[in-house]
Amino acid sequence: MRLVLATSAIALAPASAFAVDYLSAEQAAKLMFPEAERFESHDVSLDAAQMQKLDAAGVRARSARWPVRVAQRGASTLGYVVVDEVVGKFELITYAVGIGLDGAVKQVEVLSYRESHGHEIRLPAWRRQFVGKTAASPLHIGDDIANISGATLSCSHVTDGVKRIVAVVDLARRSGALP
Amino acid sequence: MTMWTRRARPLLGTLVEVGLAGTGCDAAIQAAFDSIAGVQACLSRFDARSDIARFNTLPAGASLDVAPHTAAVLAAAQELHAASGGVFDVSLGSAADGWHCDERRLHKRLAGVQLDLGGIGKGYAVDRAVDSLIALGCSAGWVNAGGDLRVFGDEQVPLTLRDETSGGVRHFATLGDGSFATSHFGPTSRSVATGPSHAPVRAHASVAAPLCLWADALTKVVAISGDAAHPLLACHAARAWLH
Repeated sequence: MRLVLATSAIALAPASAFAVDYLSAEQAAKLMFPEAERFESHDVSLDAAQMQKLDAAGVRARSARWPVRVAQRGASTLGYVVVDEVVGKFELITYAVGIGLDGAVKQVEVLSYRESHGHEIRLPAWRRQFVGKTAASPLHIGDDIANISGATLSCSHVTDGVKRIVAVVDLARRSGALP
Repeated sequence: MTMWTRRARPLLGTLVEVGLAGTGCDAAIQAAFDSIAGVQACLSRFDARSDIARFNTLPAGASLDVAPHTAAVLAAAQELHAASGGVFDVSLGSAADGWHCDERRLHKRLAGVQLDLGGIGKGYAVDRAVDSLIALGCSAGWVNAGGDLRVFGDEQVPLTLRDETSGGVRHFATLGDGSFATSHFGPTSRSVATGPSHAPVRAHASVAAPLCLWADALTKVVAISGDAAHPLLACHAARAWLH
């Protein structure tokens, strides 16, 4: 074990924000469905009745509009990829869920992780600066490799988000909004 | 300069990150996540099919066969319970002597005993993931399960510590070929522990150790005992800090 402690001056510096980009949405889709030849974009819009149906099932729909990437090979559909983001205690997490034709979760990949400094996470303006900014490359060099240690971060908001996406894709397929 | 490939997935109730030196590491990364999912399937009390969830529903006097992962973590937990004078307790106060694991057979002695490996299982899972990466020939990298992490190989990795009250991180150290874990017991923490006086523990502790299982588990011993020089640390070549 090799451990070199920071000098006290560094350790006393103000806390800073922390961000990692892992994958772009396109990279995640290809990773989840490597056999796909293309991904078609579909915009699923839930009507009021569908939103109520989700609420009744205990899955708060949160949004009426859900962009879905449909994995295709020739004329056949292989599955679906949905990108979403959730806010935790200090962090904003963008993640992608891959769903197979059986309706089950195939894979979940985190696309980006952004930890705020202070309580900026609650500020829409802080979150907006990252909208649409998923990395083009998952490669990181130099100082970017820092690891955070701390109290175990809960991922229950990601788990809830995955359940919501499974329910939305299921509804959309039943209504014919997705192939 | 080393190029790194990083991936993160929700596992073990937290975010697990795998970082590897180099590119084209998809198969190794998948193997590391598979190792962790395999450990989770044995230990998670939230998975009704796991050994621990099945144990928790057993009546007193009954027993069950457990997987080698479960037996290994329970053996470490038993050892640490005895060595820490009862401070480390995976029954979380429900009945520390209400269970016993004999090789692969887990016995329930008392009704009401419930096991929760949340204080040691993440570290064990990280160690198994690192084993699989090394077995696949990965030269350097890390596995970080929501703050409990292990770095392996020649590279040194900067380590930052989260400010638990307001968020944000501070540089703390650089770590090579070793593990580091942190526990925070505060009024708003998910983790709850009671000390010898039955008062809730309020502490923020980190431990560095060669293996992540011991780093993870020893943070609880240090936080609950309030002793950053606890004699058990030396047994596992560990070092601790109370922040």
